[in-house]
Amino acid sequence: MNANILEVTGLEKHFGGVYVTCNVNFAMQEGEQSAIIGPNGAGKSTFMNLLTGYHRPDAGKVVFAGEDITGLPPHKVVRRGISRAFQVSSIFNRMTVRENVRAAVQAQMRATFRLFASASRLGAEEAGRMLALCGLEGKSELIAGELAQGDKKRLELAIALAGRPRLLFLDEPTAGMSIDEARTTMELVDRLNRELKLTVLFTEHDMGIVFNHARKLTLLHRGEIILQGTPEEVRANATAQKVYLGEHHL
Amino acid sequence: MSENAKPRGPWSRLYDAFGVSGPVTLALLAASLGVPWLPGEFWTHVGTEVLILGLFAMSFNLLYGYMGQISFGHAAFFGVGAYATAMLFTALKTAEGQIGMADFLLSLLAGPPVAALAALVVGFFCVRLTGIYFAILTLAFGELLFYIVFSWYSFTKGDDGIQGLLPPPFFQDSTNFYYFTLAIVAAAAALMWRITESPFGYALRTLRDNQRRAAFLGTSVRAHMLANFVIAGAFAGVAGALWGPFSRSVNPGLLGWGESGIAVFMTLIGGGGSFIGPMLGSVIYTMLQAVVKMYTVYWPLTIGTIILMIVLFAPGGILGMIDQRIRRWRGAGRAPAEEAETAAPATEPRR
Amino acid sequence: MDIGPYALQLFSGLSRAMVLFLLSAGLSLIFGVMNILNFAHATLWLVSGYVTFSVFTFLSQQFGASPWMLLPAIVATVAAMMLLGFALERFLIRRTYDRELPEQLLLTFALVLILGDVIKLIWGLENRRINLGVKPMEMFDTLVNPYHFVIIGTGIAVAAGLWYFLHRTRFGKIVRAAVYSRTMVSALGIPIPAIYAMVFALGVGLAALAGGVFLPLLPMALGVDLDIIVQCFAVVVIGGFGSMLGTFVASIIVGVVYSFSILFWPDGALAMIFLIVIAVLIFRPWGLFGTEMRY
Repeated sequence: MNANILEVTGLEKHFGGVYVTCNVNFAMQEGEQSAIIGPNGAGKSTFMNLLTGYHRPDAGKVVFAGEDITGLPPHKVVRRGISRAFQVSSIFNRMTVRENVRAAVQAQMRATFRLFASASRLGAEEAGRMLALCGLEGKSELIAGELAQGDKKRLELAIALAGRPRLLFLDEPTAGMSIDEARTTMELVDRLNRELKLTVLFTEHDMGIVFNHARKLTLLHRGEIILQGTPEEVRANATAQKVYLGEHHL
Repeated sequence: MSENAKPRGPWSRLYDAFGVSGPVTLALLAASLGVPWLPGEFWTHVGTEVLILGLFAMSFNLLYGYMGQISFGHAAFFGVGAYATAMLFTALKTAEGQIGMADFLLSLLAGPPVAALAALVVGFFCVRLTGIYFAILTLAFGELLFYIVFSWYSFTKGDDGIQGLLPPPFFQDSTNFYYFTLAIVAAAAALMWRITESPFGYALRTLRDNQRRAAFLGTSVRAHMLANFVIAGAFAGVAGALWGPFSRSVNPGLLGWGESGIAVFMTLIGGGGSFIGPMLGSVIYTMLQAVVKMYTVYWPLTIGTIILMIVLFAPGGILGMIDQRIRRWRGAGRAPAEEAETAAPATEPRR
Repeated sequence: MDIGPYALQLFSGLSRAMVLFLLSAGLSLIFGVMNILNFAHATLWLVSGYVTFSVFTFLSQQFGASPWMLLPAIVATVAAMMLLGFALERFLIRRTYDRELPEQLLLTFALVLILGDVIKLIWGLENRRINLGVKPMEMFDTLVNPYHFVIIGTGIAVAAGLWYFLHRTRFGKIVRAAVYSRTMVSALGIPIPAIYAMVFALGVGLAALAGGVFLPLLPMALGVDLDIIVQCFAVVVIGGFGSMLGTFVASIIVGVVYSFSILFWPDGALAMIFLIVIAVLIFRPWGLFGTEMRY
């Protein structure tokens, strides 16, 4: 029986009277790889913020692997196996690439209160593995803040993966990347999804990426879910076209 | 990765392992061993002061350089440590003002735990906020503690301070006391190094660089900040405990924001981005102050101008500048992109 | 009940509150718009006091002693100090906008030290005060210095003027918008550097006004700036950064609490203020009227 790893019911969020998330019901099965799409301002990032505890929902419930995590702060959500990569790379600028990933690994190992252990040894293997996986071992001693944009995004992903999550949220993972870089990144995501049974939810604007890498799409518009289905179903749907292209009829 | 054609000499390897702090610490250690050999008692006395205040500044840097927060009330824990030692000292000494060696050492032990406790209470409130609010809140608490010590005459003797902290005869010799201080400060620094190079120390750096992301790693921001606040307070308490017997008295001013300012200045001058920077800053600050005050009464103008220059042109302090030069010279680990002039990360040394 | 001493404390508290308001309004505006906490704000106030004294003395010598000489002295001081503020922003503070918070704080902190000694250099160690020769009035069975009312009146007038400026003039509305969102204001094509320079100069001008107005009441002495700046921080935290109403209300709270604490716990008046600050920062860090957490 395929249990739902994530169940969201009746999720709502408003900022000063403006509803940015409106009665959203959403579910994901373990091992699924889906995308959320929608025009700018549809509420995609807010949705991820709500699921990861960065914002508190005004109503609704978020259940992860059977546990109610509604309203928990980010660090508690992350500890339960959800990880997130940000749209604009959010890394530790003054530390080296290796130290970045190592810190993530040590956090996942719950070792961050170890005052007398050696930081360079604890979790070193795992950090090395993550670096290799994301193609960063040649750059491991560089200062994170000095990396090129594409590398920063890869580091972003490496940090998110180092937490060994069961569920991974990617906010526009290929933004700012070249076509080749985007392809490499998404192939990596596919591989992780296949081999580690990692459940992945990503937001994207590039429809090519979406159709090639997502098995299920959810279309968000003004905070509400308009449509859900396979890429082909959504592509063929008239409402979807209207939402994306305005009032132009095809 | 860049290949260095010539073999790495010992200084180079030291730098690789310990950052710019490696060579500098060795140099300072070597110099400090020789201080009492200088003529007269003056330099030994100054040297002791440099060591104690340097430890105080290093404890401040745990909050500033490693965690990215600026506290204007850190001297409160320095002062609390000093007073705890002073009060136990006074209780243990004889009517004639003598104190035995064992009692003396016992009184020193009182400083750090009491300071740590004060840091726990103050920190509990302060770590709920960051940035500017943290700075103001630490200032407010520091001043509050100052006022409590100042006003509670029956307990602390208020503005009169506590006098007569005469160490046992062995330590009345300034050379002996100096080496004793050096031993304690060196041990404390070694412990501090251990902590900053532990997973905890790197977790602190994540809080400094990107607090939001740190939370998304699973790190509880408040718990880690509080733990670091207490540790920093404890080390400040060690310095404070030594101060009383050193200057033979304590006074409420030790808790005030002026004293907190000294830690900030020392750290800034030496460089907050490196481990030993604050100690180097202590050397420079103390000697500078001694020299300038011989010629002019306008010390605040002098130090103010220096701080201004540092903030504008060399925010990484002296070690920051040195480290920048070394890294540029070696060309190690730099992505092809930015010029060193503007890139903010380049002003900070790595250790 | 003899309300004499209470009335006295009330008036002195209110006039102290008005001086705090004039100072804190500038501080709050500067932080609200520019995100810079100007440690040197009270020191600039102190400098203004000394400058006003010198101008007043000079004018009195030239044109005959009279309390009315205070007005042109204040006007001249405000103008001069606004120029100084302009220069400080343009040449020093501007360089720290893209820096980390601690460095910004330390820059203004360094200015406290520098300006403090500049005062010593120019005016020496003695206090300066002006005696306007105003006779105390009898009110509530006690003698009250009527100058308190001048200060209170000035404070209210400035508060009203500021309110009008911020809510009814175009420039003022831009300033208020900048408190909410610098990027939006910049996106509207309004040059942010110019706004910053003018806001800073305005803030310093208010501080200068406070300095001149305060001069006949209490002596200007070295070190007073350090006491006052902490009270200003208290006001801005309690009232909320960037909110004029909050600054006004909080000034009254701090001024009156301080005055009355003198009656019961003279040494601890400042400690009382700190307790309030701590309470506010714990339960409502953005203050009574501030916009939600910005840092």
